Amino acid sequence: MSDNIKNNSDTISADHKMHQESQEVSFSFVLASSVHDMKNSLGMLINTLADVMSKYPPQNQEHAKSYSILEYEAARINSELVQLLSLYRLDHDNVRVHIDEVIVVDILSEQIARNFELLQSRNIELMLECDEDLIGYFDSDLVGGVVNNIIVNCARYSKQKLKISAQKTIEGLCISIEDDGPGYPDDMLNASTFAESRTNFAGGRPHLGLLFANKVSQMHKDKSRQGFIRLSNLSDLGGGSFKLFLP
Amino acid sequence: MAENPYAKLQALVVDDFESFRITLSKMLQNFGVGMVDSAASSNEAMRCCTAKVYDIILCDQNLGKGKTGQQILEVLRHQPNLNSDSLFVLVSAESNKNIIMAAYDYEPDAYLTKPITGQTLGQRLERLFKQRLALAPIYNAIKEKAFETAVSLCETEIASGSRYTSPCLKILGKLLLQLGELEKAEDLYRQILEVRQLDWAMLGMAQVKKLQGDSLSAQQWLEEIIQFNPLCLKAYDLLADIMAERGDSQGQQKVLQQATEISPLSILRQQQLGDVALKNNELMLSANSFRKAVKLGENSCHDDVVFHEKFSRSAIEFSKTDKNAATQALRDALKIAAEIPNRFGKTNKNKINSYLLESQLHAVSGEDRRSAEALLNAQKLMDADDVANDLDLKIEFVKALRETGNTDKANKIVSELLSEYADNEEDLQKIDCLLEEPCSTKNKAFVAQINKDGIAYYDAKDFSRAIDCFTSALQSLPQHIGMRLNLVQALLGQFKKEPGNRQLITNMQFLIDYIRKIIPDDHVQFRRFRQLEDVLRGIASEKPVS
Repeated sequence: MSDNIKNNSDTISADHKMHQESQEVSFSFVLASSVHDMKNSLGMLINTLADVMSKYPPQNQEHAKSYSILEYEAARINSELVQLLSLYRLDHDNVRVHIDEVIVVDILSEQIARNFELLQSRNIELMLECDEDLIGYFDSDLVGGVVNNIIVNCARYSKQKLKISAQKTIEGLCISIEDDGPGYPDDMLNASTFAESRTNFAGGRPHLGLLFANKVSQMHKDKSRQGFIRLSNLSDLGGGSFKLFLP
Repeated sequence: MAENPYAKLQALVVDDFESFRITLSKMLQNFGVGMVDSAASSNEAMRCCTAKVYDIILCDQNLGKGKTGQQILEVLRHQPNLNSDSLFVLVSAESNKNIIMAAYDYEPDAYLTKPITGQTLGQRLERLFKQRLALAPIYNAIKEKAFETAVSLCETEIASGSRYTSPCLKILGKLLLQLGELEKAEDLYRQILEVRQLDWAMLGMAQVKKLQGDSLSAQQWLEEIIQFNPLCLKAYDLLADIMAERGDSQGQQKVLQQATEISPLSILRQQQLGDVALKNNELMLSANSFRKAVKLGENSCHDDVVFHEKFSRSAIEFSKTDKNAATQALRDALKIAAEIPNRFGKTNKNKINSYLLESQLHAVSGEDRRSAEALLNAQKLMDADDVANDLDLKIEFVKALRETGNTDKANKIVSELLSEYADNEEDLQKIDCLLEEPCSTKNKAFVAQINKDGIAYYDAKDFSRAIDCFTSALQSLPQHIGMRLNLVQALLGQFKKEPGNRQLITNMQFLIDYIRKIIPDDHVQFRRFRQLEDVLRGIASEKPVS
């Protein structure tokens, strides 16, 4: 019985501590909750937009352009919000990688399907090169999120071609996304860590997507190996090349 | 027009937002799905599912009032019904599915994150139906309990290098465990783990080890999973089972506490935690867990009246150790007890039960008039009905009589019960909770053993272990005066070790007060009681050591 009462008071003090903590984190918590809400509304907006577009197909170039801007910006806000939420969770240790055996082509086509309308409206031709039987070991939600971000980003910069491919390499499973756009700017290629480039808010590009990709890659570990990302402008298509390596 | 493969399909869309329902239904119709129904709430969805067989159910997780999407899935998978085999797709705005999945034991066939585009849905449906078709022979064999056939079908599929190798491996492992083919199962999981540390394979390995009787290895596997994936609740469940098998109820409680912290929404774990905490005499924890279990029960198929009663029981016990801290629990328990007939049917048994619990709850709250009133109501119904022969009700009745000070009448009923059930060991075990000395063979042996252990610890001056022994014995035999006095004495020993610990004095005072209420003047231990009472009075009046 003494144990009981002693523990009771422990429980109360622990609660108390939690309460204090919750006041400290309350701002980022409120932010995260509102991001969640915004994401819901945005979901409605995107669906309604798709409805409108199918009911009233564009009559001229100008229409088509407006639609594509609406669509692109909505998709971009959505993926930024998802990233914000994911980064919040990564920071609060709410997210752990859940690694399972997955069929890589399924994950890639899922992300392509997600952005099908966006790519179509921007007249971007998409190539998928991936063996039907290729197997990977990774967290399909997190990696899917990374691939989606990069696709949305590429949709903005590429001229007409986008290539997504995956294969096994010595450095692990490699998922590449290449475009025929102007390529990644020097400051991004040179940033030794992506945390550094994040501070570059003045340039208007916090590179949230890369920060997220980098974190996700590093969370994938197997024995002594760890995932990583590699950026370059050495694309067959002439633009930027993003590669995600997973052990 | 090419033949439409979806033309004969029946689909159900569940979402509380009309626009989502319309969008999803339209998407399904665009793929050629023959018939699409929609439901705006969990109640409507359940009605649809009892009326019709659906090939596929697309259900939003957050449906406002009532059940969540996961709770609908739980009902469909847990109980035999028209839709227990339907493809179930859970839809949510939450991008991390593990957060939602963690709380439940049934996995949906697919998980889709909002916003959903036509392309995403189309692709996922195609994949789902293809997989369902490919694995249909295996599922059919399992359904017909032809497990051996299912095993060889899985093996063929895996050997062919099919794209469904991974799901087949998972099914195969479970089948081998079920068939008791432990060596084969161990080989299978070992081969998988050599390639990659996947948590489901580690979990399988832990199950193999547990079934082989090697609980230590099983525990090591499970602890490794938890370290690697703290959201893997099945690992906690298995670990808690192992602790329970070992009789380590402290360890079991700790594991369940961790699991409920991660996923507070799991009703089964809250129920278990309430039970084990009650056993460990952690009454606040027990009352809190039962309260949560009762609350979660509103929308769960795992609800049971037993847990509503246990909430009252733990609140009553809690109030006897710390009346102030228990105020809220008592208030909530009263509400819950009063609602039993509404929730579980207005049978006489439920009504009587409800009154008896209310009577005890009022009594420990000091509301004597209300307590007597509730007792009277219970008695009226018991006199009028033959449910009065129900042993559980009679035991509850005796408890209520005692709480309200009707000791003589209570004792009279107890002696009637003893002669009536004299030949039934199981019933006697139930009656033991009303007695000072147990009458069932099992509990007699239990008391003798635990008393012996407790006294051995006491003699070795290991007072805290002695306290644990006597405390846990009192949980099953609260009327045992000798045991209660032993506990006081063990606490006294501990107090001499740490004279500054006023909490020990408070605990002893509760015990002495409890005994004072139940001990008759002619009891053999009456003198010992008086002596301890005096000693305690002496200590309590001393100035605290500063």
